[in-house]
Amino acid sequence: MKIQLTVNGSRYEKDVEENRTLLRFLREDLGFTGTKEGCGAGECGACTVFFNGKTVNACMVLAVEADGGSVETIEGEVKDGKFSVIQEAFDRNHGLQCGFCTAGMILSVKELLHRNPKPTEDQIKDGLEGNFCRCTGYTQIIESVLDASGQLPKKGELHHA
Amino acid sequence: MLQSFRYMAPRTRPELLDLLAEYGSRAKLLAGGTDLLVTIRAGVHKPEVVIDLKKVEGFSGLSWSQTDGLVFRPTTTINEVLQDARVRKDYPLLAACAHDLASYQVRNRATVIGNVVNASPCSDMAPALLCLGATAVLSSKSGERRVLFQDFFIGVKRTILRPEEFLERIEIPAASAGVKGDYRKLKRIQGHDLGIVGVAVALKGGKLNIAVSSAAPTPVLVQGLDAGIAVEAAVEAVAKATSPISDVRCTKEYREFMIGTYVRRLLQEVRA
Repeated sequence: MKIQLTVNGSRYEKDVEENRTLLRFLREDLGFTGTKEGCGAGECGACTVFFNGKTVNACMVLAVEADGGSVETIEGEVKDGKFSVIQEAFDRNHGLQCGFCTAGMILSVKELLHRNPKPTEDQIKDGLEGNFCRCTGYTQIIESVLDASGQLPKKGELHHA
Repeated sequence: MLQSFRYMAPRTRPELLDLLAEYGSRAKLLAGGTDLLVTIRAGVHKPEVVIDLKKVEGFSGLSWSQTDGLVFRPTTTINEVLQDARVRKDYPLLAACAHDLASYQVRNRATVIGNVVNASPCSDMAPALLCLGATAVLSSKSGERRVLFQDFFIGVKRTILRPEEFLERIEIPAASAGVKGDYRKLKRIQGHDLGIVGVAVALKGGKLNIAVSSAAPTPVLVQGLDAGIAVEAAVEAVAKATSPISDVRCTKEYREFMIGTYVRRLLQEVRA
């Protein structure tokens, strides 16, 4: 089936098999490999992308469902060669180690801060419950979110001291 | 890789009813896909046709009226329910159940109707719908049937829905607005997980309804207890109505114990 969609602001038109997930379509057909496949069953959140303005697990969306829609992936976060505020905060606070969960994590944080610009630690945990990290540890991820939302003064200076 | 199927996206209700009449049990309906695509991937379902409901006119959003009460449609998502001001104010039990369902990004896609037609014993929305006296409106080419949710589930992953039928609307009575209630879900972790047991309690006009998930082949409702019932009598009534099993998540005994614990805690809370 031929579908048309917007990914990170660019239009794409492509033939896709009806049983192909949006995740595989993004990674293998369009080359947006920043989005990762972890569990493939909606548990881990590694494949989180924005679909029509809302975060979803791309492993549980069919590519054909995205016909006429818009998708934002981690590749869309970098503007003019510069990290977004959230990416910078993750960088500064060691919010990633292996990086496999990071793309999904950052997009979930973006969604969280959009609806709650100054989340408490509990609200951050609640907002990120669908994104699993198995190596960094959540402490630095939570600190990264506090930093990205302007709630962690001087952390960056301490880190680089 | 998912097994192959044909994808269809009808635009109107009559088109959908025609497709259901034609394909029946060879078709699966797709709303949020958070259960369906996982089960197709696992080979549990092998539909010949997947029918997407999201393009059908009039199938989205939620509404409220004095006559129909709160109405959910085939693609009303869990987050739409959670973000609705009326739900938060007047249907706190519904909001509590919705909030305990999976994770934020799953709730962006998962639908209330999908959660109940999937008919898992651990459905999070079923306890609220049972306690609040919700009605399921089932539609097919031959017309409409209205059933209460205590008559909707018939076994593990089984409902009274016929192959040519679909659940078109859920109606929660206007009279259930303002009902005091809450939900406790036992999980292995604090984050999103399937329930080990879930208990919902609603106090409505002198009567007490208690619903339990993951404690029998279907979600269970114990209804019409006297609001002033002794706590241990309520615990006993719920124990009689449920029949939990031991499985990979925990033992039968632990489930029995925690159902009693949650009934006690919830009664204390809703009567406060």
